[in-house]
Amino acid sequence: MMWKMREARVLIIGLMSLFSVVGVLATRCATAQDLAEFEKRMTKFTLDNGLNFLVLKRHEAPVVSFHIYADVGSVDEVKGITGLAHLFEHMAFKGTRTVGTKKYKAEAKAMAKMDQLFEVIKEEKRKGGQADKEKLQQLQEHFEKAQQEAQKYIVHDEYEEVYTRAGSTGFNAYTSEDATQYIVSLPSNKVELWMLLESDRFANPVLREFYKERDVVTEERRLGENSPHRRLYEEFQAIAFKAHPYSEPVIGHMSDIRTLTRPEAEAFFKKYYAPSNLTVAIVGDVEPQKIRGLAEKYFSHIKSGPKPERVETVEPPQLGERRVIIEDPSQPRLLIGYHRPSVTHPDHAIFEAIAEIIGVGRTSRLYKSLVKDKRIAVSTYTYRGREKYPTLFIISAVPAKGHTSQECEDVIYAEIERLKTELVLPEELDKAKKRTRASLIRQLASNRGLASQLTFYEAVTGNWRNLFNQLDMIEHVTAEDIQRIVKEYFTRKNRTVGLIETVLTENES
Amino acid sequence: MKIKKTCLITAIVLLALWPCFILPSCSPQAAQYTKLKYTRLGDIEIPDVEKVTLANGMLLFLVEDHELPLITMSAMIRTGSIYEPTEKVGLADITGTVMRTGGTTSRTGDEIDEQLEQIAASVETGIGLNSGRASMSVLKEDLDTALDIFADVLMNPVFAEEKVELAKIQHRSAIARRNDHPSSITWREFWKLIYGPESPYARHTEYATIDKIARNDLIKFHKKFFHPNNVMLGIWGDFDTREMAEKIEEAFEDWQKADVQLPEKPEVEYHFRQTVNVIHKDDINQAYICMGHIGGMMNDPDYFALVVMNRILGGSFTSRLFKNIRSRQGLAYSVYGYYDAEYDYPGVFYVGCQTKSESAVHAIRAMIREVQMMTESEVTDEELALAKESFLNSFVFSFDSKGEIVRRLMTYEYFGYPADFLQKIKDNVEKVTKDDVLRVARKHIQPDAMQILAVGRPDDFDEPMSVLGPVRGIDIIIPGPEE
Repeated sequence: MMWKMREARVLIIGLMSLFSVVGVLATRCATAQDLAEFEKRMTKFTLDNGLNFLVLKRHEAPVVSFHIYADVGSVDEVKGITGLAHLFEHMAFKGTRTVGTKKYKAEAKAMAKMDQLFEVIKEEKRKGGQADKEKLQQLQEHFEKAQQEAQKYIVHDEYEEVYTRAGSTGFNAYTSEDATQYIVSLPSNKVELWMLLESDRFANPVLREFYKERDVVTEERRLGENSPHRRLYEEFQAIAFKAHPYSEPVIGHMSDIRTLTRPEAEAFFKKYYAPSNLTVAIVGDVEPQKIRGLAEKYFSHIKSGPKPERVETVEPPQLGERRVIIEDPSQPRLLIGYHRPSVTHPDHAIFEAIAEIIGVGRTSRLYKSLVKDKRIAVSTYTYRGREKYPTLFIISAVPAKGHTSQECEDVIYAEIERLKTELVLPEELDKAKKRTRASLIRQLASNRGLASQLTFYEAVTGNWRNLFNQLDMIEHVTAEDIQRIVKEYFTRKNRTVGLIETVLTENES
Repeated sequence: MKIKKTCLITAIVLLALWPCFILPSCSPQAAQYTKLKYTRLGDIEIPDVEKVTLANGMLLFLVEDHELPLITMSAMIRTGSIYEPTEKVGLADITGTVMRTGGTTSRTGDEIDEQLEQIAASVETGIGLNSGRASMSVLKEDLDTALDIFADVLMNPVFAEEKVELAKIQHRSAIARRNDHPSSITWREFWKLIYGPESPYARHTEYATIDKIARNDLIKFHKKFFHPNNVMLGIWGDFDTREMAEKIEEAFEDWQKADVQLPEKPEVEYHFRQTVNVIHKDDINQAYICMGHIGGMMNDPDYFALVVMNRILGGSFTSRLFKNIRSRQGLAYSVYGYYDAEYDYPGVFYVGCQTKSESAVHAIRAMIREVQMMTESEVTDEELALAKESFLNSFVFSFDSKGEIVRRLMTYEYFGYPADFLQKIKDNVEKVTKDDVLRVARKHIQPDAMQILAVGRPDDFDEPMSVLGPVRGIDIIIPGPEE
């Protein structure tokens, strides 16, 4: 054996506490104590306006990850404005009254003119065949002119430039049914820059280039339309829910996206982006006291507002299986969804355990029977459902060449029936528990992952500590619990099935 | 092995103080952020990676990381699908898969699955274009079990017949599905336009090539390449380096050194030419566009200026393509342009986007125009500054995980690059001038000799593709198995 140089140990001072946390986690032991250790590095504070901050010290490298969780998603939309939460997310990158503009007042005037013209155009278009074509063309020309006028004042992509220049990575945002999340990582000497830019962004956003960005979103929607998997999912979602807004696609319907207006987006912002509806996590090489001071300085002037109401609509129980078969040139696919309660329901951990046992890894029941033994599928996937409102537990399968969705469906149902008649084995349950612990430990190695998990648990479950408590909860799941839940929820009546049936088009057949 | 620390820190300090005059918004309306003063960034503790050569020739890279009770290993093996015979395309991939799934002389694949999942660990193997990979991740408390399996899989795979068949089913199913998604059609066919359909860098499986692969081929392929002196192994996590090296030596002690003859790497020949190609896909409402020509290698001295050019042309949210095609014209959600340089074979220069059928040709022209402009005039001071600053300020993220540091060092070693190549990139990027960017763009990019591919419904395009040049239709019907 040949040895080469040996040198400086990476600095781990300040990390010792975390080390001991997970050291204990790895063994079978109550999590309360581990949590206490973790807590030493956590600081939580709330500004007077209701804005929540979670700060976690992790001094591995001089970098910081920032995560803003806005408790608003497509679930908060109604018919006619589907896609608005997501479109707003795009618009949040367009700057403020000082960022992205050369002369805000003049720009605002030009934008107002555009909004007005767009309303008139929309009105005329509603007449359909009766619409005055000449008038429309004229209006369109006026609109283009107003757009050009507004463009004169724009400093394009300034917001992106400032972060890029500062050395950001992972600068992005994403929208889901439940939430809109804004993320970025920066070298740790740029914390104040983040404070300044983000407080401005959520105090004074200016939705400039709105109508262009809407075109970008229509292209994003088309990308989905061109993906067989997403075509199927949209149809599936639409029949799984008939009352609750989880039936709508996050991206929105094309006709809605095309007619959304800037004033609608501004009103949406006012309603859903009050400080009380935002949760911030900052993880990395930071000092909590300093963070607090900066947060007060930059964010406390944002006006407080009421926390928006929750969605009241409750999906009624299904009266029978729902099924959609889409005719598509692509190869078969299968989705099966069972209605289940929300992520905050006490039974959530049981669904987690079920998902682990039937759907995760090469030894999971579905992979073993569908892929390894019967060889009728090439892959299978289980989504456990982690939403704020009652949601779906989804099982999907991709049939192998020469096999059908029907064959896969039969095998999946047989596996589900087996769960109702036989208790799962103790080693299956142990495996699920160990894997949940290991997966939590692996998540602790990333600033970005931690920031995301902390905001999720804080905003959705009301307490970031549930990131750890989930282990306790899954630890208590029994084989009988699993049987009870499968009997209650995994029934034919409660399920929705979506299938792709391959229909070749003329030039492909 | 050591990466210089001082330069990095100086660079960051310098950039923190970068003057205001280059900011476009330092107008009377200057936003507040321009007034911020940044403190010096804290030192980056770059860990020293210990390099150890075992008696059997296996090369280890070790670095301790005591934050969490985890241990990860990642091996690189000198092999690749470039070495598989043309009539057996898919052999390398199947060998890489079945090494793990097919079991060893002492355990079946299913037993391995069971043992690993009981301890929430993973062992995975795979063979790509120009390297083989094997990895292991485990909680510290279960290291011995996982390491035993990991070594067993690398040394003693038996390639059980039933798992070979399972892998072949997976491949045949993938072939049947390969035209389902327009983006996979676009990349696959564009790569074939650049390297040629038979080139190891672009060819793909067919039913006929999968049918010809037998268990014995896998055994032979494995035997040809998998010897300890042809393997590098990176290890990071919660361990003591000396103890770990001893553990590994013990785990692999039965693995004997052998004579490995690596075949010649395939040549890439390229003749610059403009071509226009169309693939009909009726179920989509966008044109998937990709165009470009052959790219380069990272050992080209022009590489550093090309890194800067990439950022300006299409490699970021602030690039010209993003600004003009997406933000200003609203033509696409994703748009990209990149001069790709690879370690040991020429990459591809590509530009592309997806846009509604009705704006396909308009978008192609707009993108060509952006490419032309890169070769016609110098970039602006602001563009150059932004590209360089963003690269240098984000440099710290290259060192924020031990795994990334080890993997990078192994990759450099594997392809024969200096261990401090990243530092070299940084030093050289700092020196790039506007003149350099223009010079390398002119030398390496040929806007008039790009191969253009559009997948979609050409009948719905704003103009016929023939306005761009003589059109060649590409047939993507999947050939059946040979009789």
